[in-house]
Amino acid sequence: MMMFSEEYRHMIDQVHPNDELLCHILESAHSGKEKKSKTSASFRKPVIAVIAVCICMSLSVPVLAEKVEPVYQLMYTVSPELAQFFMPVQKSDEDNGIKMEVASACIRGNAADIYITMQDLTGDRIDGTTDLNDSYSINRPFSSLASCQRVGYDQKTKTATFLISITEWGNQKIAGDKITFSVGEFISGKKDYEDIRVPVDLSSAATAKNIKKVDSTGGSGKDYEKYIVEGKTTALTPSRAMDGFPVEGIELTGIGYIGGKLHIQTAVYDNLDKDNHGYFYLKDADGSIVDLDYAFSFLNQFQQPGRIDYDECVFDVPQKKIGNYILYGSFVTSSMHTEGNWRVTFPLKQAEAS
Amino acid sequence: MKPEPLRPDDCAEKVIRFYADMVYRLAYARTGTKCDADEIFQEVFLRYIKKQPVFNNEEHRKAWMIRVTINCSNKLWNSVWKRKAEPLTDTMPFETKQDMDLSDELQQLPQKYREVIHLFYYENMSLEEISRALNRKNSTVRTQLTRARALLRNILKEDDDVQRGI
Repeated sequence: MMMFSEEYRHMIDQVHPNDELLCHILESAHSGKEKKSKTSASFRKPVIAVIAVCICMSLSVPVLAEKVEPVYQLMYTVSPELAQFFMPVQKSDEDNGIKMEVASACIRGNAADIYITMQDLTGDRIDGTTDLNDSYSINRPFSSLASCQRVGYDQKTKTATFLISITEWGNQKIAGDKITFSVGEFISGKKDYEDIRVPVDLSSAATAKNIKKVDSTGGSGKDYEKYIVEGKTTALTPSRAMDGFPVEGIELTGIGYIGGKLHIQTAVYDNLDKDNHGYFYLKDADGSIVDLDYAFSFLNQFQQPGRIDYDECVFDVPQKKIGNYILYGSFVTSSMHTEGNWRVTFPLKQAEAS
Repeated sequence: MKPEPLRPDDCAEKVIRFYADMVYRLAYARTGTKCDADEIFQEVFLRYIKKQPVFNNEEHRKAWMIRVTINCSNKLWNSVWKRKAEPLTDTMPFETKQDMDLSDELQQLPQKYREVIHLFYYENMSLEEISRALNRKNSTVRTQLTRARALLRNILKEDDDVQRGI
């Protein structure tokens, strides 16, 4: 009888990328060579599993208390043991009435935790839901992974605090290097719609009369690959927004059967400024949930004014049984988008342990 | 056939071929579906091509590949669509029922346990190497491996090999 390690190896050895997938990547590598650049790495999206919150929640910086209130409040409750490693930075930039400040940094070997605050000096554009909307970048002269997430908000000063965590690859000390953190836009006024009942009578869902071929821009689900062939699939032709859909910022633009499957379509206008999104699911009389079979997205047009992002959820429930289900969904929307140009360059200094 | 060892100045194509299986298998171990593994595989190497990171040595490059694979699968898994929409039925065509059963059994484990199992039993990484790669405490990795083994006790056959490094 084989041991687990042998069984596992036997199983996982059969897993490998298919030739087409590998060729696709190799072609990208080949074409990428022509554009080879040695500029410093820049991340637009968080790529590290964020773990530093717990670490940095256990730090305190009394010396910053008066000048950097949100950071102080964030750290107030915890041990001062590592406070000596945090250095005040307090370099700031202001644009469009919003001030971005690098409050403090903690360098430990090849890792850095940096607190950034953003404060609205003139209005209410910063709130407890402010999201940098993947628009930030962290430029540094070493190979590393970085992430940024909101860790606090102070209502009184309208200041949101973000934690940037950077880990250099290779165990090289990073103290002495400079990094630049910049932000070009953010969204706020986020609202969560969790597990809401959608007032649609599913028993009236009929076979769709108006359908069209669309180019899918992405999707998911177990049957996604089965029904999206060479990037194309069949969707409902969007109709006028239906009344009574309870999510502001997302419209219900279609519901009907195509090929024996229930399609439900939503639309968001100018979503690059909002990131409104969500998903549907069904519940039967017992409250049991039926997840979608697959989902896909498509656009009316690309980067032009008037862009509409459509999402279509598809359920594998026969038409004659759909009346036994109730439609539910969970969604996230935002109501405000702010643009600007905030950029701070600062040195990574290691504090001397006392 | 085991690929030849890489040299620091090897071209991207050679690096991709060298790490293709490692990245894909880890992605599959994390997600349990072929289409997700495909997606993560592409994302990891497109990042590699785009960023062209410089590494001190091959161990450094391998750690980068593992970490970015984990990050990309986190990102995929955290998507609101994926959370609800991704069942575990898009499986590989394994040779034997035993392989299929093992794959199914592993998919019942929490994701964080599956990656530890994979790195420990397949990549032969020590707890210390895994903790570095996953940016987790050594004690956390040890606990996760212990718990994963407990959950898998019906299929694990304890022996010296299994006890390695614990």
